[in-house]
Amino acid sequence: MLSIVTITLKGIFRDRIFQGIMVLSVLFIFIPSVASLSMRQVTELSTTLSLSLISFIMLLLAIFLGATSIWKDIERRYTFSVLSLPVSRSTYLVGRFLGIAIFMLIAALFLGSAAIVSIKIASLTYPPARPLLWSAIITSIVFDALKYIIVVAVAMTLATVSTSFFLPVFGAISTFLAGTVTQQVYDYLQTPSAQAAVSVVVRKSALVLYYLLPNLSGFDLKVHAIYAIPLNTQGLLLSAVYFLIYIGIVLSVGALLFARREMK
Amino acid sequence: MIAIETAGLCKQFKGKKMTRVDALKSLDLQIEAGEVFGFLGPNGAGKSTTIKLIMGLLKPSSGTASIMGVDSTLTDSRRQVGFLPENPAFYDYLSAEEYITFVGSQFRMDSSLLKRRTEDVLKRLDLWEARKRPMRGYSKGMVQRVGLAQTLVHDPDVYILDEPMSGLDPIGRALVKDIILDLKRRGKCVFFSTHITDDVEKVCDRVGVIVKGSLVAVDLVENIMRSGVEGYLVHLRLQDGAGRNFAGIEPLRVAGSTSEFYVSCSAFNAFMGEVNASGAEVALVETRRRDLEDFFLSLVNRP
Repeated sequence: MLSIVTITLKGIFRDRIFQGIMVLSVLFIFIPSVASLSMRQVTELSTTLSLSLISFIMLLLAIFLGATSIWKDIERRYTFSVLSLPVSRSTYLVGRFLGIAIFMLIAALFLGSAAIVSIKIASLTYPPARPLLWSAIITSIVFDALKYIIVVAVAMTLATVSTSFFLPVFGAISTFLAGTVTQQVYDYLQTPSAQAAVSVVVRKSALVLYYLLPNLSGFDLKVHAIYAIPLNTQGLLLSAVYFLIYIGIVLSVGALLFARREMK
Repeated sequence: MIAIETAGLCKQFKGKKMTRVDALKSLDLQIEAGEVFGFLGPNGAGKSTTIKLIMGLLKPSSGTASIMGVDSTLTDSRRQVGFLPENPAFYDYLSAEEYITFVGSQFRMDSSLLKRRTEDVLKRLDLWEARKRPMRGYSKGMVQRVGLAQTLVHDPDVYILDEPMSGLDPIGRALVKDIILDLKRRGKCVFFSTHITDDVEKVCDRVGVIVKGSLVAVDLVENIMRSGVEGYLVHLRLQDGAGRNFAGIEPLRVAGSTSEFYVSCSAFNAFMGEVNASGAEVALVETRRRDLEDFFLSLVNRP
């Protein structure tokens, strides 16, 4: 599996689309200047912009890498060569996933470092009202990476059954969008007004989707990072456990589906 | 020992409008270790489907396939195989050297042995100079040679090659034939598909012909060549009476004292008896036979 992880990483680093996406990180240079235009809360705005830029780049990477990696291997017929080696399909799938997941963490480290420099410059120029909570900023970046690794797993699982890139690309985007609001929808449906206004069928369907789709809101710690709010360790631990279990389930389903796929 | 075996192997694909297409119909095949087996068939006959089933890339609709006694649906069945897919494609961002190393690592080769074998196969397939370049810059023939190199690197007992000569120039084709003959000398089993009969005639021990998903013939190449003898062209040097006939057979041509006769297999003994009795000198006997291509075409065109 290690060699599959290695070739996956080599493939990502040598890909021109990835290089193009990473050029976006140049925008970190402009963040302190742009934030200074707000005249107040410059550091907070710098933090917001930096974390949002990381999120945007990571989303692009997750969609691009997660949705196209398996699909491209099948489309370009690389799978005929690789799957005829003594490699099980599940090993291949997990190896590809781990390669991308490791890359996402490396990208988070690189982008996070650029963000920290950017936020530091802004905070030195315009000291914030509340001291910066670096641990919250770093944890927010790490959990952002975990969130997008979940999106990668979903995209790869969709790619195991898809014959085109539409399903993995748009499926992953839809899952990401839905995953960020499932918790709010669930909370709303528990309120008395929703119980009265929403039909039972819709409520049951929403409940099924709540358990089926990833709950990504637990990975969004931007508010803690921007306003220096101390983190809830127990909540973080719960999110980390959820991450591992959800990834495990999604990849197991992906491996089962991929094992049944015919390589025509 | 049987290297490759299929028993009642069938494959159906879903066609348009809920129809079913029988790509492969109950294939029974046994290929011995050390044997070079040519799998002949026209385009769309089911050659690649068979190979994909043996390699576990497709699931059989019914029947079984095994390699060295291990069921093809198991990952371990591929541990002693070198496989070249039809029109191979490899991670084009990797160099040939990186890819061969990757393949060797999947077979758990010792790193020093892998390094040595990688160098050997790349040199043998004339890829040494280009070994560090990404494969996206390779020609079709070079990619095909990388495909062959990755089948050889771990020195397996069984080779399954789907159209190995495809995309190669005459030098490349000669090289592949040499490699197959070398593998044969070393007691390896080679199963390769092709629609070029000349390839089979030169390197194979046995040939199977598949037409429309059914195996229509399996025989030793030697038997086919022998059974294909239709007659003989006999050149006789006659001191006198050039142009005379023997056993009722008239000469085709007469040039000076030499007469040329076409003699069918059934008339050969009587003809030669009369020739011997007459004291005529036999200058040359040429065998007239149907070649493998004629044999193949007769099977393919059979109603």
